[in-house]
Amino acid sequence: MALWHVIEAELFKVLRKRRLYVLFLLLWLALPALLILIGFIIKNNVGDSFVDEGEMVSTAVQGIASPIAISRLSLFLLSFPQPSYFMIVVALMAALFMGEERTHNMWKTILTSQPNRLMVLLGKLIAAMLLMGILLAGACLSGMLFGTLAQSLLDTQFGEGWMELLGFYAYQWLFALPALLFAFLILWLFRNIALGMVTVMFLPIFLESLYTFYRLAVGFDRINRFNALLEVLQIQNTLKNLPKYFWTTNLFAPARQPLAEISKAMGEDFSELQGPFSQFFNGNLQQAAITLGVYGLVFAMILFWNFRRKDVA
Amino acid sequence: MSAIEASRLSKRYGRRFAVKDLNFKIGQGEIVGFLGPNGAGKTTTLRMLAGLIRPSQGECRILARPSPSKELREVGTMIEEPSFYPYLTGKGNLNYAAKLHGGVKVSRIDEVLSFVHMENASHKKVKAYSQGMRQRLGLARALLWKPKILLLDEPTNGLDPVGIAEFRESLRQIAKEEGVTILISSHILAEIEKLVSRVLVIERGELLYDGRLADLTRQLGDKTSYRLLATDQGALEKVLSDLGFRAELLNSGYIKVEVSSEQKGFLSGLAHVGIDLIEASRESESLEGAYLRLLKEDGRPV
Repeated sequence: MALWHVIEAELFKVLRKRRLYVLFLLLWLALPALLILIGFIIKNNVGDSFVDEGEMVSTAVQGIASPIAISRLSLFLLSFPQPSYFMIVVALMAALFMGEERTHNMWKTILTSQPNRLMVLLGKLIAAMLLMGILLAGACLSGMLFGTLAQSLLDTQFGEGWMELLGFYAYQWLFALPALLFAFLILWLFRNIALGMVTVMFLPIFLESLYTFYRLAVGFDRINRFNALLEVLQIQNTLKNLPKYFWTTNLFAPARQPLAEISKAMGEDFSELQGPFSQFFNGNLQQAAITLGVYGLVFAMILFWNFRRKDVA
Repeated sequence: MSAIEASRLSKRYGRRFAVKDLNFKIGQGEIVGFLGPNGAGKTTTLRMLAGLIRPSQGECRILARPSPSKELREVGTMIEEPSFYPYLTGKGNLNYAAKLHGGVKVSRIDEVLSFVHMENASHKKVKAYSQGMRQRLGLARALLWKPKILLLDEPTNGLDPVGIAEFRESLRQIAKEEGVTILISSHILAEIEKLVSRVLVIERGELLYDGRLADLTRQLGDKTSYRLLATDQGALEKVLSDLGFRAELLNSGYIKVEVSSEQKGFLSGLAHVGIDLIEASRESESLEGAYLRLLKEDGRPV
């Protein structure tokens, strides 16, 4: 019961924050409208011209503004640019559920109204996951709805592969849990809400960029002190394989799965892509789930342990 | 069964003890004042009782169960300045707390708002509230789930004299009608002396006094002072000095002298040595004076 009380109270509070709606409507309304507008411009400006030999334009419009395409792109674009829309939403959730409590000095009120700390934290996490679920389900539905409404205007088909796409959406929702645990932990530990949000959005990319820079600029085979140390520790191979365990690569594995379908619709095929970016686009869902599970477990252990013990001012 | 109990309760930050070896018991339905100057350890103690911070040593019990436990659900708190979500209305904030706690009827929110005379302002956002309104809303929130215990930390801060009197009356009413145990802290004795019969005095984290307010002056030596006016004040001052009294010549021309209970017959002694008294008035030591002296005796400059 205590858990339900916390979820109910947290949803009551968060649903009264306007910025949450702005962020949600951006994905639900602005993105589909933009995609339909792009489809409309392509169809009207390029269609029936000499460029459109072989019905290239209708394929492109189908790949951008059909119901399935909008839903696919809505999922795919969650992972772009950096910091991604997805991580911005996660950081905002953590700020609303954890950061603001400190800013407004509310922890003493919360933990005296509901002294069961475990339930408080769990309730906040579940409420955040529910909102992430609503956001993702809304994105899929709005794509379907807007695409259907634009069908007569753009001559697009409803499209196939909905069940597979729904599966990717479900995966992406589940993958939000470790992301939220990470963001909750940072916002709980940091005193400054803005610094916490920036850290959530940029720290993983920053660390991964550092690694990529070192790998590209120096490499792990050149003889230097650092590489000699890695050789001694026998972790060179592990470091070379590190991108497999990168946070960003794995977190967005479901969102990037539809890329193959999107690229085919655009007349390209990225699924056969080789080289340094192959991992980025061809992530293995099972491996990503395991990797994120480990990340999530570590973050959860630190967060719950610290939350239960820490003194509240 | 004690409602609140602290045994060897201590909290240490680094090497410094914020609270050291506190021992006290508060029975159900009692209203107890928790007195001490700023930084004495009152808030730290209340936070430990409310389960917000963990004691370094010792333990506290709420309704006979070691805290923190589910018994804390029976406690209403107002620790330091009450905090709210500024973007929610007063009623919205109470609604949030009620949902979080669970088991609070919607009608109870209006009840407590009306109790603290906030029904007209309850639809305004809290960011527009004055300090006094926040204090009253804080009390309303503490009362939401009809707690058996109220822990109030300097609840009258920021209230005007009328507000303080209303607040005091509200607490008296709650204690009388609902049998709530109240532990109320303050650094100003005058604020709570009309409300409580028992006080705990804390200084530098240690308990200096635990007992009835009326006994505080008696236990500290029951000193009485006299204001005297004689035909020859110079002679009076000299005689008092010879008899070993501490005499002080006031600006008003009177001589003030402090006497203990054993020396109360000194007035007749003055007549024997030829002092012609025109006026003698007795002033018992005020509670405030006794309280200040208690702190001074602890070595703290007051």
